Amino acid sequence: MRSSFDNFLESQYGEWFTRSIQIGLGLLFIYASLDKIWNPGLFAKSISNYRLLPLPLLHISAIILPWLEFTCGIALIINRYQRAANIVIGGLLLVFILAIFSAMARGLDFNCGCFSVDSEESNVGLLKILQNTGLLLSAALIEYRMKVIQPKS
Amino acid sequence: MIQMNKTMRDLLTLLALSTVLGISAQAVLPNGIGLKTEITIVGDDSTGVAVPSVSINPSGDDAAASNISLINAHSAYETNSALFFDARNPEDYKSGHIRRAINLPVHAFLDSLAYLESLNPDRHIITYCDGEDCNASIDLAADLKMMGFSQVNFFFGGWQEWRDAGYPVVSHP
Repeated sequence: MRSSFDNFLESQYGEWFTRSIQIGLGLLFIYASLDKIWNPGLFAKSISNYRLLPLPLLHISAIILPWLEFTCGIALIINRYQRAANIVIGGLLLVFILAIFSAMARGLDFNCGCFSVDSEESNVGLLKILQNTGLLLSAALIEYRMKVIQPKS
Repeated sequence: MIQMNKTMRDLLTLLALSTVLGISAQAVLPNGIGLKTEITIVGDDSTGVAVPSVSINPSGDDAAASNISLINAHSAYETNSALFFDARNPEDYKSGHIRRAINLPVHAFLDSLAYLESLNPDRHIITYCDGEDCNASIDLAADLKMMGFSQVNFFFGGWQEWRDAGYPVVSHP
């Protein structure tokens, strides 16, 4: 049973709509990765602020995660490996949301390290959770459209 | 099923590519870090706490800030020979802090650059936060070292140890 929203997603306008969101999400993740790629030490420090990862995994996470954001961002823009990239980005956003929740619940107060590693970045808080939830919904929409058009492709 | 296999293959490709790029980049980037997290034990042998000693600027001054004991911190306070920086957030600072301490939340470090640049880089600075449960004092001390201050200590016992010892505080419960 197809809804009118499904029909919209299948249409040319629906394709443009989701492609724009996909490119936007890709650009955002590339932007978010650059500062972390340039300053992996500061990013490791940001991750350590959350006190969730075992210490031996700090550096390796700070080295790989920004590049994962970067490659997935590129993949979304050029529309190659897009499903895998979208799943990774959705997964990362979910982890970020849970990590911010967890930090707030433990009363920790620090800059979240979401888009950059400097202290101008806003602190963990509800606004960050809302931002990440909005991005997660965008990733979910892209995935949903792939499912809607799948039977015909 | 074919689609799922393809997605899984793509996932592994992206992960492998990111790993290779990430590791290779560390050899090229000026701020590159090692794969292994260096860990420092701070505090004395029995109550030592493991904290990551993240190399922020490997090309800078490598001598890391060190811990200072309660007795030595108090002695520096009495002789007024050190500046005390409270690395906690403003709410915690307002509710109680070491007398004469200046609030410099670690996450707002860059907001305080103008003030810090006005200080003598050889000035003795002692950072602290709540106590052994927090790392903000260590992070702030590392930031100050990175900025070029030569005599920086973090007082790991922090606010709790200082207050419990009955040393001078400003308190607004």
